[in-house]
Amino acid sequence: MTDAKIPVTVLTGYLGAGKTTLLNHILSEPHGKKYAVIVNEFGEIGIDNQLVVGSDEEIFEMNNGCICCTVRGDLIRVIAGLLKRAAGFDGILIETTGLADPAPVAQTFFVDADIAARAKLDSIVTVVDAKHLPLRLRDSREAEEQIAFADTIVLNKTDLVSAEELAQLENDIHAINRFARIVRAERGNAPLEHILGLGGFDLDRILAHTPTFLHDEDEDEHEHHHNHGCGGHCQCGHHHHHHDEPKHERHDPTITSVSLRADKPLDPAKFEDWIGELRATKGNDLLRYKGILDLQGSDQRFVLQGVHMMMDGSNLAPWPADAKRQSRLVFIGRKLDEQALRDGFAACVA
Amino acid sequence: MRPASAIARQWDFRVSVTAIACNRRGNWIAATLGDGSVRLLPASDEADAPKLLPLHDGVSLSLQADADDHAFLSGGDDGKAFIIDPELDAPTLLVEHKQQWIDHVASSPEGLRAYSIGKTAHVLNAEGQPHGQPLTHPSSIGGLAFSPNGKRLAASHYNGVSLWWMNAKDSAPSRLEWKGSHLPVLWSPDGKMVVTGMQESALHGWRLSDMAEMQMQGYAAKIHSLAFTARGKYLATSGAEQVICWPFFGGGPWGKAPMTLGGSDGHLVTRVAPHPRDELVAAGYDDGMIILAPLDGRMEVMLQYPLAPQGCAVTGLVWNAAGDCLFAGLENGNLLLFTLASVSRAARGM
Ligand SMILES: [Zn+2]
Ligand SMILES: [Zn+2]
Repeated sequence: MTDAKIPVTVLTGYLGAGKTTLLNHILSEPHGKKYAVIVNEFGEIGIDNQLVVGSDEEIFEMNNGCICCTVRGDLIRVIAGLLKRAAGFDGILIETTGLADPAPVAQTFFVDADIAARAKLDSIVTVVDAKHLPLRLRDSREAEEQIAFADTIVLNKTDLVSAEELAQLENDIHAINRFARIVRAERGNAPLEHILGLGGFDLDRILAHTPTFLHDEDEDEHEHHHNHGCGGHCQCGHHHHHHDEPKHERHDPTITSVSLRADKPLDPAKFEDWIGELRATKGNDLLRYKGILDLQGSDQRFVLQGVHMMMDGSNLAPWPADAKRQSRLVFIGRKLDEQALRDGFAACVA
Repeated sequence: MRPASAIARQWDFRVSVTAIACNRRGNWIAATLGDGSVRLLPASDEADAPKLLPLHDGVSLSLQADADDHAFLSGGDDGKAFIIDPELDAPTLLVEHKQQWIDHVASSPEGLRAYSIGKTAHVLNAEGQPHGQPLTHPSSIGGLAFSPNGKRLAASHYNGVSLWWMNAKDSAPSRLEWKGSHLPVLWSPDGKMVVTGMQESALHGWRLSDMAEMQMQGYAAKIHSLAFTARGKYLATSGAEQVICWPFFGGGPWGKAPMTLGGSDGHLVTRVAPHPRDELVAAGYDDGMIILAPLDGRMEVMLQYPLAPQGCAVTGLVWNAAGDCLFAGLENGNLLLFTLASVSRAARGM
């Protein structure tokens, strides 16, 4: 699929985690691309000859009065301004402040038609500091949210902790966010192919990468690593996490992932009612969700993804003749009632 | 034989036209382009090869007629505002704010100039010196406009509009409040009403005498372009498949249905330009279609059919003062001139 839309990558992470270092790493790599960078504060961007724009993090509620339906007003203004340029950059990087909620950023791309026509959210990348993550997860709701929203988590400063601690950290991260890719780094030096061009919000990419995020725990270990195409020498560490690590100082997560599976086709009307009701009543607690569905009466795979109440879905491609037709859906959210989700989803089977 | 075209003259700048404007005297046209330059040409069918002037290092974010009645005022993402006198060989730098964006500019017939950077508006007197203190707002400014007599400045923002008296000693604005993000702001020609286009695809307005409010909804997109028709009878607006014209007479717009002009199947009006004297509205669409529609119910005249295959948006549309020349700028870099003669020739040939 050719797509002339400008890709937008969002960098989140609490203060001191290494966001600016990663940003400078992205900008200084010899990839031949030019980025427009949207920052909250000027200062430590060390690269001349880049287009750097300051912006305040203005959160606007939408008129429906719902607290989760928010957008970033400054992004609408700044991205619309950037898009007036005839040429000059290949992508946009947004560096958020340490306390930023990623949801309004993502929702801006659902809500603003002018931006959606010309730019697309590629992925949310969250930088965490291996040394301080356990503490942050205990004292900061934002740190947990930033992990929950991420497509990629750069686990930075891995040289400051032991192998056991790293394994535990990756466990903790995956307990919050089942589909994030964890990339290990020491000084923000994560491989760019794990940061840019991920298509984390593209429905067709969800389809192409099914096994990497819609895996069940039992298939976790083996499906994980051969699907992200990074070769053998990367530090991403997917294959290093083990679910049976001893639990030391583990935070008590309020955000969790729940993955659902159905081997029989779903009734489209029942599913629509269920997901509609869920978004309307629990939208504030649903952070991100993605799924591929086998709907009765259709030979197409229905792919969906959403943030809070905002959802995007379409019939994308026929089921391959040799594939097992199966519906899979993953929710990342706060206070998820796993049993209720399982029951609700099971009741959608035709 | 080719069908007669309504286009009298056509130029191809090969870089998107971001905005066009006519000066106050109504005899020059300026078109800003996506490469930061500006093209100037006489606003008549004598229009020859447009004069090219380099302008912004990035791109113009706002182009308006200047306070000087034969010049233009432009603010850009290079932090500069320029006065562009078509008869000089270079634009005159008015102000520069390094590493910031000048989002909006406005001018008054009395010689004041205003520009905004994020939340702050600055007003300069005719000599280019600050006229009072910078005006700060609770959030980024979405639009700036002087009242027709130049005595007040309206700045729209999140949750309303601030109205500043230009000659007041105390610097507190009066606030027009309405929840949501207000973008372009417009005064009625008699200065008695203020109307905004909103992020939420609606219009909101206030009658200043008694603060009666008007809410106009049902749009498919944000309203980027709104203008009163001759003598303020109707408010013509973009943002729908038809040109939506709200009556401002006979008690309207309260309790009155709008008049709708033209129509497209799935494409939206991006620019409206009411004729300076007659009851006619020109409108441009996001697929390149341009129409001229009478307000008396007669059939509209097609000035340009939608451009194949996907079309490209009309980004600017203005009349000259005499009302015999209409200029249209397009995202594909075309600038078109329609004259009353070329239009009636084409209408006869149809
Ligand atoms: Zn909501
Ligand atoms: Zn790897």
